[in-house]
Amino acid sequence: MHTAPTPAATIVVPAFNVAATLAETVNSLRGQSWRDFEIVIVDDGSTDDTAALAEALRAADPRIRLIRQPNRGLAGARNTGIAAARGRHVGFCDSDDLWAPGKLAAHMAHLDENPMVGLSYSGSAMIDSVSRTMRAAQKPRLNGIDAAHVFRRNPVGNGSAAVIRRAALDAIAWRPAHETERDWVFDETFRQSEDIECWLRLALTTDWDLAGVPGLLTCYRIARGGLSAATDRQFEAWERMVAKLTPLAPDFFARHAPAARAYQLRYLARRAISDADGPRARRLLRAMRHASMRPYYEEPLKSCVTHVAAHIIDRPAGRALRAIARV
Amino acid sequence: MSFLSPSHGQSRPVVVHLIDDTTAGGVMRVLDFLTQDPVLGAHARHVLRLCPRGALGNDRIRADVIVSHLAINWRALPGLIGLRARHAACPVIHVEHSYTEAFAALNVPHKRRFHTLLRTAYALFDRVVAVSAAQGAWLSGRNLVAAERLRVIRSCVDLGEFTEVPAPARPRRVIGAIGRLSPQKGFDRLIEAFRKLPDNDVELHVHGEGSERAALEALAEGDPRVRFMGFAGDLAAVYASVDAVAMPSRWEAYGLVALEARAAGRPVLVADVDGLRDHRGAGVLLPGQGGRADLTEGLRDLLAMPDTAAEGRASAARAMADFRTGWAALLSEVCAAPAASVAAA
Repeated sequence: MHTAPTPAATIVVPAFNVAATLAETVNSLRGQSWRDFEIVIVDDGSTDDTAALAEALRAADPRIRLIRQPNRGLAGARNTGIAAARGRHVGFCDSDDLWAPGKLAAHMAHLDENPMVGLSYSGSAMIDSVSRTMRAAQKPRLNGIDAAHVFRRNPVGNGSAAVIRRAALDAIAWRPAHETERDWVFDETFRQSEDIECWLRLALTTDWDLAGVPGLLTCYRIARGGLSAATDRQFEAWERMVAKLTPLAPDFFARHAPAARAYQLRYLARRAISDADGPRARRLLRAMRHASMRPYYEEPLKSCVTHVAAHIIDRPAGRALRAIARV
Repeated sequence: MSFLSPSHGQSRPVVVHLIDDTTAGGVMRVLDFLTQDPVLGAHARHVLRLCPRGALGNDRIRADVIVSHLAINWRALPGLIGLRARHAACPVIHVEHSYTEAFAALNVPHKRRFHTLLRTAYALFDRVVAVSAAQGAWLSGRNLVAAERLRVIRSCVDLGEFTEVPAPARPRRVIGAIGRLSPQKGFDRLIEAFRKLPDNDVELHVHGEGSERAALEALAEGDPRVRFMGFAGDLAAVYASVDAVAMPSRWEAYGLVALEARAAGRPVLVADVDGLRDHRGAGVLLPGQGGRADLTEGLRDLLAMPDTAAEGRASAARAMADFRTGWAALLSEVCAAPAASVAAA
């Protein structure tokens, strides 16, 4: 058996009970136009058919490596993938999301041509449970990103959008006292907001640039139903991130936390709206106005549309609009 | 001429060190050591020259080597260009005492502009000295200095008086925080983390003065275990009065306090950031980048750490030797002296 040459890139795929979507995700990665990469699937203690499916995928493509571990959560699976990664740049694709065929090529060129960029991201299209593209999309600002913008608007958007330079990952890695196996890059004590915690820590503790490439190169799956119920926990995790990182830069957080909190609440309100949960959306928007009015005068159109939608979504007019939108 | 052979008597080359800010305590103490150390002085005559903010003047400096310890900013740039132009034939070295990766991350809104400034300024010098390996890795990693012009010489002071401080008492009881009371030093998060220690018999002694004193006192309010000791005049006495040292800085080009603590045989906790990473070794604790909980855990570990005073002192002695060797080698290199075996002191 020959040793595989070191690949230029690694794509880490954390997989926990994703038998339904893993094959589609991995196929979207195998179809990348940039050919020189490896895929590291981390089976994070799945209890469904994920393990057998991952094994079959591995057998079918020598570029795929498979690691199994007892469940450690999304952050823990990503950290294991990072520790195993051999590429000079490391991308992440959660096992229900998809990558457009040119995504890896775009990020490799971006990182290789811009030595100051440590994290390269793209916009994302939203897909539903049967992979139909939805109207909503994440179209972030691509350049001039500072820590305040990361905190307030999270331009990276989701956990399947970023490709990160190895040196930038190394710069934020650490080894907690109780950890015996490998370093942490993502904080495994977080079950939500682990992405933004990592991006913001990168922005606050290193001088690597975060920058985007044009296009909607990630398909980010929005599962309908049950989502808005998680908004409270999601907001709690977000606040925990603020509490954790505040000692790094108290002035920064004093200045930017109110507006960032308001944007976070607006984002959660929009999630509640897409779940047709009017009362929850209105409650989140009230909390948003209490935190800061900035979203209203910085992004008046989007904020007002959110406001109106939250007030009609569970009323006849809203139901009619939803019926039209579904057609 | 060689800087590495024994004394040159009157023929010793003259090295003029330029400094614009004498209030930066750490830089001044490094310069005191550079200009007053007899071992370094045997090879070259080190002279200190004050040039208050921007006033580099128009006269030619009579020196064999010029070493800038000046602050680099856009306003200072014309002066530095003039300095270079007037001394075209004289080797000019810059020592970067301030800027680091974490400094840039936390304080610089326009990083591209900042990197352009540094690249432009550093290009004026024959050599740029990083004061820690971590800072050097940043300077070369971001292409701010070409690798062939970059040298790493970790900062140092005369550690003699610290090595004579008696070993700390066990069990450890007093944690020292030593430095300017400014946001950079991170004493705010240290006080918050310390307050979470349940032990009644431990104390945190904050030595230093600065703009943050009132804010820090407010943070410590109601906890008599936190004591503000004021300006640290006699540093050896300060180290003698504490059993361990905590240095949770937000950025730090090197961190002399950690070096002095090692020389004094005190275990030291440093933040995992910039030049503080250079102190890694026996008696040095680097907790993770986590939040308050990690720092509290770190303080607990610091108090319970095994005794490594001897290793710490030995590493500090090596640091002094490395500093002398590094400067002798650098000066000899820029004067194109024939290579000679380094006689470390």
